[in-house]
Amino acid sequence: MITITRAPPYMTVQNGGRKHSRAFGVPRGGAMDTFAIRAVNAIVGNSLDAAALEWALGGGSVRFDRDCLFAIGGATARATLSGKGVAPCTTTFARAGEEFTVEQISSGRFLYLACDGGFDVPVILGSRSTYLPGHFGGHEGRMLRSGDSVALGARPTTLPAEGFHSAADLMPRYDSAIVHITSGTQEDSFDESAWRTLTESDYRISTASDRTGYKLEGPALGNSLGMLPSEAGCPGAIQIPGDGLPIALMADAPTIGGYPKIAVVSEADLPILAQRRPGESIRFQLITIEQSQRALKRRASDIHTISQLASRSSRG
Amino acid sequence: MTPAPLRAHPLGDSAVTIVFGAERSVELLRRVHSAARSLEAAKIPHVDDVVPAYLAVTVFYDPRNASYEEISAKLMAACDRATHSSARSPKSREHRIPVRYDGIDLEAVATSTGLSVQDVIARHSARAYTVDLLGFVPGFAYLSELDRSLHLPRRAQPRPRIAAGSVAIAAAQTGVYPLDTPGGWHIIGSTQTVMFDPTRDAPALLAPGDTVRFERVP
Repeated sequence: MITITRAPPYMTVQNGGRKHSRAFGVPRGGAMDTFAIRAVNAIVGNSLDAAALEWALGGGSVRFDRDCLFAIGGATARATLSGKGVAPCTTTFARAGEEFTVEQISSGRFLYLACDGGFDVPVILGSRSTYLPGHFGGHEGRMLRSGDSVALGARPTTLPAEGFHSAADLMPRYDSAIVHITSGTQEDSFDESAWRTLTESDYRISTASDRTGYKLEGPALGNSLGMLPSEAGCPGAIQIPGDGLPIALMADAPTIGGYPKIAVVSEADLPILAQRRPGESIRFQLITIEQSQRALKRRASDIHTISQLASRSSRG
Repeated sequence: MTPAPLRAHPLGDSAVTIVFGAERSVELLRRVHSAARSLEAAKIPHVDDVVPAYLAVTVFYDPRNASYEEISAKLMAACDRATHSSARSPKSREHRIPVRYDGIDLEAVATSTGLSVQDVIARHSARAYTVDLLGFVPGFAYLSELDRSLHLPRRAQPRPRIAAGSVAIAAAQTGVYPLDTPGGWHIIGSTQTVMFDPTRDAPALLAPGDTVRFERVP
């Protein structure tokens, strides 16, 4: 069990999300940074789809109520265990009763905390993820509050070594300002100049950005079509509403919508966008579907490598 | 009339959208749902999810194991077979949803349509609606078709929060908000009926093709 002793402004239980319920209108949801959550799970020797804590907007503390091998990743944070610094993407051993504190999230947006055994919350519609708008999933369908306790799964028999660290070159380039996109989605709705604007301008993440979507500020795109008959969207789809300013749909975005979509963020780069804060800028760069799928396979193989290295560390 | 040929386009690196036509119609929607059912039934490897909409079916797949070319070719072939098969649609159910016509926009709807409040209520509750689609948020059903005299564009400013159970109208459609959500439809009433329960075997109360009648309750 883990107990929230001082809840941060935002904390939920997440995993890979719901991949088989969209026809009921249920969004994929799940972790905003799908890479980081799998990476921290791999580091502590969990299955990649285990549930972890998604932590944002500020510091807070949790207490481990049993011995626990844990790791943090995603956003960069100043963090301590019983007063000693905790390194990112590194296994740290906590004894029962020790307190883990995030003093501040210094860069990026979503921090993930994985514990060996994973967080044991009910599986609803195939996932342990919290879907806040629907009040279901995760811990009672809501954000974690001070005083809440969440059960942990059984500890695996073999664990990665304490201090096992995942190399930085296996991580996405979170500092990159380039976010790759693919075309093909209602692209005919937009003319050449709209495409030029989208790929040759810097776009700033607006304060109107949350788990549903990131509104982007920058040059408006011409769009004469207005609303179209509703059609499926997905996390990463870039839709253009009437004001011409792009909105990148994120994890909790509606399953279908009527705004024309000009492009979709490459799944491999969605974590880079997700970790951008309001006020920070990105630039979109067009790649082919094949390139995008290759990049995604590369990410999957990097995660696999982390898992293997973690498992080998336990015998070292 | 021969249906237009299907077109496929990618929706990012993990989904394919198959477009059945350019104009919304009852017939086109029927073909979309029929294809979606066939794609579900075909159990094509690496397919995660099948999402029907007004003009298109979108299929989510695992791109680590299937390329866009491979998967779209398989899906197009399956859709073609579905179009030519005479498979019957599943049995549609009829639902009666009790509504208190107490919505905050009821007066404004009456004013905009030039009808009395009683007429708005009478016309909304007079007919049976068909479930076109589920989507937007869990369990939200787009119901058609609203009495022509009640057609109004969406509100210019969507509300940041509409309470679960709100019964609303916009353009040619009506629906029930299954959970608290932002929304731009005109709210004319409310219901206690639970539209979505993630712990049920069939989490959404309504399914495409079902019929819905709203019954006025005091």
